[in-house]
Amino acid sequence: MGWSFGHATDDDARLGLAGTAEILRRTMRDGRSHRRGAAIAIGSLVAWTSTTLAGPLLVRRGIDDGIIAGDRAQLNLSIALYVVVAIVSYVSFRFAILQLARVGEAFLREMRNRVFGTLLRQSMAFYDREKAGVLVSRMTSDVDSLQELIQFGLVMFTSASLLLVGTAVLLFLLSWQLMLVCLVAMPVVAVASVKFQRDSNRAYLLVRDRIGDTLSRFQEGISGVRVVQAFGREQVQSAEFAESNQDLYRTHMAAVRVQCWYLPIIEFAGAATTAVALGVGGWMVAEGRMTIGTVVAFILLLSSMFEPVQQLSQLFNMVQSAAASLNKLYTLIDEPVDIDDRPGAVEADGRAPIRISDVSFGYAGGSPVLTGVDLEISAGERVAFVGPTGAGKSTLAKLIARFYDPTAGSIRLGETDLRDVTVGSLRREVVVVPQEGYLFSGTVADNIRVADADASDLEVRSALERIGVLERFEALPDGLDTEVQERGSRLSAGEKQLVSLARAALADPSVLILDEATSSVDPGTEAVVERAMETLMEGRTVIAIAHRLSTSQRCDRVAVVADGRLAELGTHDDLVAAGGHYAELYDAWVRGLGDAA
Amino acid sequence: MIAGLLYTAGRVAVPLLIQLGLDRGIRDGGPLLPWALAIAGAGLFSATFLGVRRYLAFRNARVIEARLRDRIFAHVQRLHFAFHDANATGELMSRGNTDLQHFQNFVTLVPLTFGNALVVVTVTVIMLILQPLLAVLALASLPFVNVLGRRFAQQLHPAVLRVQQESAQLATVVEESVSGVRVVKGFGSEPIQAAKLGIEADDVHDAALRSSAIRARYLPGIELLPSIGLIIVLGYGGHLVLDGRMTVGELVSFNLYVIMLIQPLRMLGMIVANGQRASAAGSRIAEVLDTAPAIVDPTKPIPLPERGALGRIELVDVDFDYHADAGGAGVLRGLSLTIEPGESVALVGPTGSGKSTVARLLPRFYDVDGGSVRLDGVDVSSVRRDELRRAVSIVFEETFLFSSSIRDNIAFADPDADHASVVRAATLAGADEFIRELPAGYDTEIGERGFSLSGGQRQRLSIARAILADPRVLVLDDATSAVDPTKEHEIRDALGEVMDRRTTIVIAHRPATIALADRVVLLDEGRIIAEGTHTDLLATNARYREVLAADRDAAEASPDGEVG
Repeated sequence: MGWSFGHATDDDARLGLAGTAEILRRTMRDGRSHRRGAAIAIGSLVAWTSTTLAGPLLVRRGIDDGIIAGDRAQLNLSIALYVVVAIVSYVSFRFAILQLARVGEAFLREMRNRVFGTLLRQSMAFYDREKAGVLVSRMTSDVDSLQELIQFGLVMFTSASLLLVGTAVLLFLLSWQLMLVCLVAMPVVAVASVKFQRDSNRAYLLVRDRIGDTLSRFQEGISGVRVVQAFGREQVQSAEFAESNQDLYRTHMAAVRVQCWYLPIIEFAGAATTAVALGVGGWMVAEGRMTIGTVVAFILLLSSMFEPVQQLSQLFNMVQSAAASLNKLYTLIDEPVDIDDRPGAVEADGRAPIRISDVSFGYAGGSPVLTGVDLEISAGERVAFVGPTGAGKSTLAKLIARFYDPTAGSIRLGETDLRDVTVGSLRREVVVVPQEGYLFSGTVADNIRVADADASDLEVRSALERIGVLERFEALPDGLDTEVQERGSRLSAGEKQLVSLARAALADPSVLILDEATSSVDPGTEAVVERAMETLMEGRTVIAIAHRLSTSQRCDRVAVVADGRLAELGTHDDLVAAGGHYAELYDAWVRGLGDAA
Repeated sequence: MIAGLLYTAGRVAVPLLIQLGLDRGIRDGGPLLPWALAIAGAGLFSATFLGVRRYLAFRNARVIEARLRDRIFAHVQRLHFAFHDANATGELMSRGNTDLQHFQNFVTLVPLTFGNALVVVTVTVIMLILQPLLAVLALASLPFVNVLGRRFAQQLHPAVLRVQQESAQLATVVEESVSGVRVVKGFGSEPIQAAKLGIEADDVHDAALRSSAIRARYLPGIELLPSIGLIIVLGYGGHLVLDGRMTVGELVSFNLYVIMLIQPLRMLGMIVANGQRASAAGSRIAEVLDTAPAIVDPTKPIPLPERGALGRIELVDVDFDYHADAGGAGVLRGLSLTIEPGESVALVGPTGSGKSTVARLLPRFYDVDGGSVRLDGVDVSSVRRDELRRAVSIVFEETFLFSSSIRDNIAFADPDADHASVVRAATLAGADEFIRELPAGYDTEIGERGFSLSGGQRQRLSIARAILADPRVLVLDDATSAVDPTKEHEIRDALGEVMDRRTTIVIAHRPATIALADRVVLLDEGRIIAEGTHTDLLATNARYREVLAADRDAAEASPDGEVG
């Protein structure tokens, strides 16, 4: 179908010839296990293409050897051969589609798992660096563009290429003189095709942009409809939308015009070439240098030559964008993983003290966040990290969980440097609970199982029970099997926090890093969250990134992090008495309370 | 239509001209050049009208698409709140996107189909005139192209949709893992996510193979059928030529005609499936367009008074439920409340007590089921909507900002407002300070593709937006909930100025904000259960204390708001 452009590539993503060759080599290497399947697929495609070419040749044979020669047996033989060719064509085409899909989809499945595996292995530093949207688009639009090629384009692209080459070779063999004459129209077709391919690519990119613009305006109009109506701006909004919609219409029409000049050129070139073949071929027949059958074969072959040209010029964009996507995927796969198991890494021991010695750290390319921090946390101790925004308290906690490695200094569990333990065992022993509960789609139980996929229903329930919130979740419409994202059963912010705490209870780690929520929830739930947190802390080493001084008050020691340094360290009472930065914070808090009540 | 006719004429002529060229020119040794020129001429003719026909078909379809999209958008903008409560954004989006696409596809196909049908009829007639029996035999298999084409399109579409759905599910896993990476890392659940993805990747794989199996089932057959026709042309036709009852030229033109019919027949098969989709999509679109706006301007509007003390609100014996037609028990039950011009009232109550509902009845986002709501003595349903909504500004709890500059967002109610009034509104809302620190100040682009603001900053912008509208009644529906408690006092001070001499309704949880109001109204289960000042109620009303209880905890955040 000629009217869908399918795909396009941005100029900066377009690969040169060398780049394309490299991608191809890489794919051959990575897809080694599919080599056999791919060979069979291509073999059957070649067989199918050959049968397409054989048709006109058999017509020629029938005319020349049968009809003109008056030999009925020869004519019948040609017919019989044609029947065989048709059967082979049917079987090989069917086989080619199936085989190509089998190989392509298997390759894609591997690709998806591999790319996602790489994404998961990457450290937090990687996620800070890369935009989430871009990472997601690797796994969605880039893989999808490969999928589309495999589903729709690959059979057509390969067979059209083979057909084009095969037809040209055949015509040359039949009569190179006539073929040369017929090539007269070719430069025009070639120039038009290249220009079309470029123009349609550009037009499609524009259309894609405008569609994006228009749809996001459309969405904005709907999700903001209450504000629009509240300020009586319905008509203005509609007028603005109509403008953007008109823009979209204009780009659509520009794309249509690109097609509307190209297709007629190919159509006319086909007719003109046929005319030349008939005229010149007829003259050659009169001269006795050619048979009528050959002229007929020329005419028939030529009529099937212009279709592949047209198909190729349209599919070319699809292939190019797939190659560009594949390139991006390989780049992602090749990205080095900076936090990984060292050879000879040992299991982490969460029951050992945490020793932070002379640790400095700065985020990639940024100024140092922590400088020379020394701190030892004994097993079973509760320490609160307190301090102003950006002072480094969250960062310090993240280093303990080895979300990042320190730039200088070391963090040890007992005697073992964190860089010498396996990442898997460390994640089991040291669990970070971001209290702003993030929910995955699925049921409440599924969400708690994020901490342990194999946990039985009983274990999930007992985790909830331990933090005292089982009844609350059982009261949901479908109990623990309630879908968290279904309309009407959305969990409140407080309930999300509780799910997060239940995960930690299920994970049952030795070291718990609690990242306290900053947003306020309704007062009733707030009390429940506090109680759950209290239960959860029992019997563990706890590091609380405290935003509420009531939390730090409950910890054994308070560490005040200011300007990237450990400014104060001691019990709550000591620090309040010492009259430093912490005492100031405490004072402000107490006054704030009095004011509020 | 005419372009289609001319295009068909040109196309159909070519094989006939080839036939004449072969027979009269080559076989009989007559002049060849005229035939060759005629073929080229016919080609030029059909090519020209091919372009014209396509252009017209597409233009027509795109015009219809654009007009319909405009209409859907404008209509949806006018539809009442209750409609939007019942219809998810995504659903409405697909009306203006995929449904419209299906419809547009079909509209494009209609004129093209006319041309295709014309080709099929003309070619069949020509073949029947030339060689009736051969024509019947050669064309016998072709109708099945149409049948197979139709079945193919019908079966392929759901299979392709399935692949898309499975891909979307896979995308969800990826999206969640990336945006929830802190949770994934925090609990070491990488293997769990990888396993989830593995399952989804298997599903996509299987769905894609199923869709390929459908292709493999139909496409080779659709290719085979014309070959049967071609074999019959060569077989039976060849013998006819040998018997002297047919010319070689006719044989060739038959061959070309059979090939010429393949594409139109496939398309004719497709249009049935396309038509089914388009009609389903069309009726979904019509459903939206046929929904009449429930909140419309009165036929004889009464203007709001312009003089005297303005902003008097009376709710008289109001009954209301969001699902009154479904027998809802009543969110508001016989509620009566009068607020004097310039007075500020805080509505307090537990979740579901109806306090936000009261706020939504004032600008007539919903109509009451019983009783009446009056502004300055006029029933709100007798006032023109735009007049009423200029008089009453509401700041919603869920802020919504548009993807444009901060200035445009604040000046939403009055795009012509000068810079000084924008800054004044921002200052009163406690937003001026952070706006000045942004990369481009008031010109900073925000929203989906722009700068992302914190919840508290967004709320302050929407308060500024309402202040700029300078309404006689200002409603703040939990409008400071996301504002950092330590910053709230700044807004609180500013709000004091805004509320001065302006009727204000405040819905809030934090006692300090509630205390700003002259009067507190305690709501429970759609009724007013107590009224008085904050201090009085705190001292005398147990239920009031209960509702506010433990807000202490919520207010005790330390003076920093670091997230992450």
